Amino acid sequence: MTQSPGEVYDIGYQPYAGPREGRARARWALWLNGVRAALGLGRGWSSKVLPIILLIALLIPALVFTLIGSILGELGNTLPGQADYYRAAFVPLIIFSAIIAPELLCADRRDQVINLYLVRPLTSTDYVAARWLAFFSISLVLVYLPQLVLFIGLTLGASDPKSYLSSNWLDLPRFIGAGLALALFTATLPLAAAAFTTRRAYAAVFVIGLWFIGAATGSILSDVVKGSAGAWLSLINIGFVPILINDIIFDNISESGAAGELPKAIVIGWYMLLILVPGAVLWWRYRRLGV
Amino acid sequence: MPLLLEAKALTKHYGVTIALDSVDFSVPPGITGLLGPNGAGKSTAIKLFLGLIRPTSGSAELMGVKPYDSLEIRERLGYMPEHDCLPRSVTASEFLSHMAQVSGLPPSEARTRAADTLRHVGLDEERYRPISEYSTGMKQRVKLAQAIVHDPVVVFLDEPTAGLDPGGREEMLVLIRRIGRDFGISVILSSHLMGDVERTCDQIIVLENGRLVEEGAVSGFTEESQTIVIEVDDRREELTTALAKQGMSPRVEGHSVLVEVEREEQYDTIRDAIVKAKVRLRRMAPRRKRLTDIFKDPSK
Repeated sequence: MTQSPGEVYDIGYQPYAGPREGRARARWALWLNGVRAALGLGRGWSSKVLPIILLIALLIPALVFTLIGSILGELGNTLPGQADYYRAAFVPLIIFSAIIAPELLCADRRDQVINLYLVRPLTSTDYVAARWLAFFSISLVLVYLPQLVLFIGLTLGASDPKSYLSSNWLDLPRFIGAGLALALFTATLPLAAAAFTTRRAYAAVFVIGLWFIGAATGSILSDVVKGSAGAWLSLINIGFVPILINDIIFDNISESGAAGELPKAIVIGWYMLLILVPGAVLWWRYRRLGV
Repeated sequence: MPLLLEAKALTKHYGVTIALDSVDFSVPPGITGLLGPNGAGKSTAIKLFLGLIRPTSGSAELMGVKPYDSLEIRERLGYMPEHDCLPRSVTASEFLSHMAQVSGLPPSEARTRAADTLRHVGLDEERYRPISEYSTGMKQRVKLAQAIVHDPVVVFLDEPTAGLDPGGREEMLVLIRRIGRDFGISVILSSHLMGDVERTCDQIIVLENGRLVEEGAVSGFTEESQTIVIEVDDRREELTTALAKQGMSPRVEGHSVLVEVEREEQYDTIRDAIVKAKVRLRRMAPRRKRLTDIFKDPSK
């Protein structure tokens, strides 16, 4: 049997006749691209270093708590548990959010890629919602993964895992609720700050500065001014507000210092304001964007 | 032939500034140049047809649809801005695949289209390099590629040759002609470079101060005029005098003498004047109109 020699043809330009999935595909693509950009996926190594370091920093407290708990056995019960985890992990989490989240918005405006997005089948609200959702998704993983590791670690490390599970199973829905509150906070504020600058560093410094100054001012004022006024002033420490929500969910508000004396509705209302105002600012900034 | 774009009494005000003032024009499929100086209203017209802004009054329709009322129509249009618009840290392949998906294509089709489109714009070999490492010419090609990766019906190109050297500019114009003629994608080319438009476009829309100055086929603006160009080596003064004695109104422009011809027999008069003036003739031909003439005399 003879074989005919193969030939390569240039078939030229081929019009696209496949499916077009419109706005839904555009939103999905923006969400996925946001997740990849935040984690440095599909980019050089320099883009991956920072997310990896910060991810490790977030997981370390969970691993340390689990390790110590399993070594100390019953004595480990005195160590911080699920209810206290976000208190320990909050600092690396806010640093992660402050540094990584702004990149999702700043880079698109700095490089003017946003002008290409806005002529495609999506609105500026679709764009900013997809970017927010991308970082919110990452935040959820960041708040749930260490808690899950800790929960599994403490259960398996307990002398009687079954008994530990039956007496602590409520921690699971509690950290899901507390983590949700924390992720909403850490995703919204840095992105709202990023909506005002094309430089990621400026947004990061603003968010970390706001948290640091709030923490210092709130602590000092609540120490100096006693009574209910001091409790109100402690709310200036806005970075601590998600921890207050965590304490409310874990029924641990007595551990919350001066702010713990305030009615829960006030704390929840203040938290809602800290989510909704930056969220509205973010939406407003992008609402009228054009090429 | 169905219309691609149609402006009906299209008006856009920005406060007290009138960007477009009751403009009417229609554009058939093909390659169309949108010409005009800075502030003529070109960018406003493009924004209206891209659906990014709404008109103050009148309407802008793209294939019979008002783009500012429909997101779906944006699946079928492409846009290449004049300014930088490319991310620095990703490869051209990743960027194009992403932009195809943002235009509505499923991921596997988007990847295939990205590879094909980069091949068509001549970036096949470099597609896995970060865009930050590209030259200006290569970046312009990526900008063009992202505008056509989803196979739009029409692509708006805003000053596509800006910043390119003569070689890169020529290659870009060849690419634009291929997009319009071989790929079957209609092109709206906004430019202030009349040479680019003259060489690339089938028809033009000319705007000035927010008003329509001209509209029609490019060939109509570059047809032969009644001006005869007589290119001579020397004795231009003598030739001018000889022509003037015959009742004509010659004028000197560089190495040439220009004279208006109204009747056929005047060619014989010119020939006789050349012989009488004893000039060495290099070339004699009717002058072709140029697009630049539109701006010299907007009433024409």
